[in-house]
Amino acid sequence: MYKWIGFFCILAGCAGWGNTRAALEKERVGHLRILFHILGQMRGEISYGKHTLPEVCLLLSELNDGCYKKCFSRIYEQTREENGGDFAKVWETELTSCLEGLPLREDERETVIGLPKTLSFREEGGQSDRIGQAEAFLEGRYRQAEETYENRSKMIRSVSILTGLLLAIVLL
Amino acid sequence: MRREEVLCLFPEGSRDRWREVAKRAEGLQEIRFRVGMPLSVWIDNKENFVDEQGKIVDRPEKAMRPAAEEVEALLQHLCRYSVYAFADEIRQGFLTVQGGHRIGLAGQVIPDKDGRIKNMKYIRYLNIRIAHQVKGAADSVIPYIFEKGHVQNTLLISPPGGGKTTMLRDIIRQVSDGTVYGAGVNVSVVDERSEIAGSYLGVPQNDVGIRTDVLDGCSKTEGMMMAIRSMAPQVLAVDELGSTEDVQALQMAGGCGCRLLATVHGDSLEEIGHKDYMRYVMEAGVFDRYVVLDRRTGVCRIAGIYDGKGNLCISG
Repeated sequence: MYKWIGFFCILAGCAGWGNTRAALEKERVGHLRILFHILGQMRGEISYGKHTLPEVCLLLSELNDGCYKKCFSRIYEQTREENGGDFAKVWETELTSCLEGLPLREDERETVIGLPKTLSFREEGGQSDRIGQAEAFLEGRYRQAEETYENRSKMIRSVSILTGLLLAIVLL
Repeated sequence: MRREEVLCLFPEGSRDRWREVAKRAEGLQEIRFRVGMPLSVWIDNKENFVDEQGKIVDRPEKAMRPAAEEVEALLQHLCRYSVYAFADEIRQGFLTVQGGHRIGLAGQVIPDKDGRIKNMKYIRYLNIRIAHQVKGAADSVIPYIFEKGHVQNTLLISPPGGGKTTMLRDIIRQVSDGTVYGAGVNVSVVDERSEIAGSYLGVPQNDVGIRTDVLDGCSKTEGMMMAIRSMAPQVLAVDELGSTEDVQALQMAGGCGCRLLATVHGDSLEEIGHKDYMRYVMEAGVFDRYVVLDRRTGVCRIAGIYDGKGNLCISG
């Protein structure tokens, strides 16, 4: 009886681990999609709307949800003329804390956090082109992640269940 | 003009240095940054300097000398970290910021293939001109601008710094709101350099009256007819006529039934008459009133008001 309970516990534990791994992959795909959409929105607001970066952040806070909404709203508040915060520093601080703990790779995180280093162009065409490069990078990662997600999630689940079975047989 | 408005001109990190200058916001006229040179401020028509601690000193040797990075950081702050959004203004050599304050810029010009100014880089000189609206500045002129309740075509003449834009702004406000001399009428302002209304994000930062429409950043020649077609004003106001095209456009606007308010650089009516582009309109009798301003004693005052034929109505 106890052997069977142990067998099912090991199996469920491994399957659960596999599911968590697959969910993380799905979450990463979701965040990559949001981030490259955010950069696309930024590019549009700069090239067509000719808005300033704090205004763009205000618009982004209205167009997005969750942690991104709060993050861009805080950037706007701190960089308003009345508060006079340095945009690059505020962006870096807020985005670092927003992206912390999200299932993103280091270079993807750096692309977003380091964006203000490339935001000193003197005309909107050059500025939006530069954001477009970061957007293209994240879009590439998103497409890649989405493509591999289906196969990888199946594989992770199968491997985790098989590992569970193997462990259970060996241990019991 | 509030202290907070002066402090808002500077990035958060350097605001402590400007607290003493901000205390004198009422008399503050200009803050001049030149890389490697003493930082000067003009307060109550007197040049002073600012030292490293932010104290106002009277000798340039004691003044702080801003580095290129400081000027660049200030420019980034004034442009709200979006220089691209101000490219058109930078091309003209100035920015208008919240509060209607004007930032004059100088540095290395980037020309396009036709030799025209495409943009500016290495901006190393900033002149922050603090906007002060003087309500009531035109009180002494208003009785002469109205005749039988109607606004007369008026030209304000003054040397640079003579107060013609300040006076024009107050005339616009009073004509728009209405006075005891005449009811308020619709006024259109073609504000080519954002000096009259001091518009920021399209909103006038100065009080230009309740019936005033502002065409901001538009050239006078195009803007005047555009304003007449779109806003049907009874009075049209423009600042600093400076070319034959400006004067021709103004005359055309006058021909459409609009009353005109304009300014021009000059010391006297005679001097204006010697300018080719002005002589023609003066001979054609476009203007009914000429108001000459001067600042001989350091204070702006009316030197004389003349009728359309050049006869002196009132002397300063």
